[in-house]
Amino acid sequence: MATQKPKYTEDELVASLKRNDQAAFEYLYDHYSGSLYNVISKIVRDEERAQDVMQEAFLKIWRSISSYNPDKGRLFTWMLNIARNTGIDAVRAEGRKPGFDDIQDNLERAEQNASYQPSPSTMDLKSLVEKLKPERKILVDMVYFQGYTQEEVSERLSIPLGTVKSRIRTALKDLKNYFSV
Amino acid sequence: MNIQAYIESGILEEYVLGTVSEQEMQEVECMSRIYPEIKEELRKLEQAMEKYALEHQVPPPAHLKEKIFAQMSFGPLPVQGVPAEEAEDATVVPIGQSATNARPLWSRMAVAASVLLALMLGWAMYQMSEYRQQNEVLVSEMAELRTDAEYQKTLASLYRNPNYRTVRMAGVEKSPESSVVAFWNQSTNEVLLDVQRLPVPPTGRQYQLWSIVNGTPVDMGVLEAEFAGKILKMKATQPGAAAFAITLEKAGGSPNPTLEEMYVMGNV
Repeated sequence: MATQKPKYTEDELVASLKRNDQAAFEYLYDHYSGSLYNVISKIVRDEERAQDVMQEAFLKIWRSISSYNPDKGRLFTWMLNIARNTGIDAVRAEGRKPGFDDIQDNLERAEQNASYQPSPSTMDLKSLVEKLKPERKILVDMVYFQGYTQEEVSERLSIPLGTVKSRIRTALKDLKNYFSV
Repeated sequence: MNIQAYIESGILEEYVLGTVSEQEMQEVECMSRIYPEIKEELRKLEQAMEKYALEHQVPPPAHLKEKIFAQMSFGPLPVQGVPAEEAEDATVVPIGQSATNARPLWSRMAVAASVLLALMLGWAMYQMSEYRQQNEVLVSEMAELRTDAEYQKTLASLYRNPNYRTVRMAGVEKSPESSVVAFWNQSTNEVLLDVQRLPVPPTGRQYQLWSIVNGTPVDMGVLEAEFAGKILKMKATQPGAAAFAITLEKAGGSPNPTLEEMYVMGNV
């Protein structure tokens, strides 16, 4: 958030979206489509399909914004759930399992993110990656970005469920502490 | 409620990661509305994950935005309604505001009328079943009263009838509270019992009535299990009975009374 000019506060943005205001939706798209598309393409793992799913998800967000209740959680959490579920549904409809990168893949991606991700706050990102141990980051990414359940992660990586859960919790705690500074 | 324990339980993390069940999701949302500490914690986690996600962007191809926005229409909504489900899968359906919102008045009236009718019917059915239930209660109460009245009437007539000799059997040491009255018809030797008070017999045991004739106990039959509140007809006694007694015996009765198990006794 801090990386972009804050044109709206979250409350203002939600209010404008609920009024079906075009500028607000454009802002929403410009601001969040990258994150949503990241999740979708990780789940769908087919560029063309990912674009369809992105479109479907964003239209869903637009159509059901009236049902979003800010008391229950942040707008982004709500949107990410829609994107993630739309992706998972699409993959299931094709009879495939959601995309699954092996550990090596994930690790490499983590490295890439650390060095090439075009983020204005590269310094922050580096320290973030240092903060999140790779073996924890993989688990968080699989669950948060790819929509795996913790049980599935445990099964796929042959790590006990308890370990998966505690690693993820520790990672989230780290992230929380890191970002709330 | 231990709020700290709830926060530590890990459910908030799972909520933010989207791995909770529908039920847990509602629970978390409910808890965060009640407890500001939980809400605060949840918001922090959500914000952290949001920032984390914002640092992992994969920009969609540039043309996609235009394609998506071409399918959207903006401006004030006539009705803040639930989106039409069927439109969800369509790729290129400009979403004009559907006409279904403008239902004619008569159709709304018809719906209202049928809802009202259904409510009234339901109420009537409910009342009917209420009445039926009350009726059943009354009938059974009536039957009880009638039985009781019958019993009292018989009892009164027995006391009044000079043919019947009344023998009051009082509780003995074993059961001083017990009390039974025997009505002995002097002409027919028929014996009737009115149990005023006797302990409930243990399972497998039955009370047995004896008459003492010439110093010897004579079996007068066992008392049925439900002996309270009615007149029991026993075997006829031999003439010259000097006393009556009741003992507790094995079910079906014994040939000889168990004197240790005597409950009541009365001299003629």
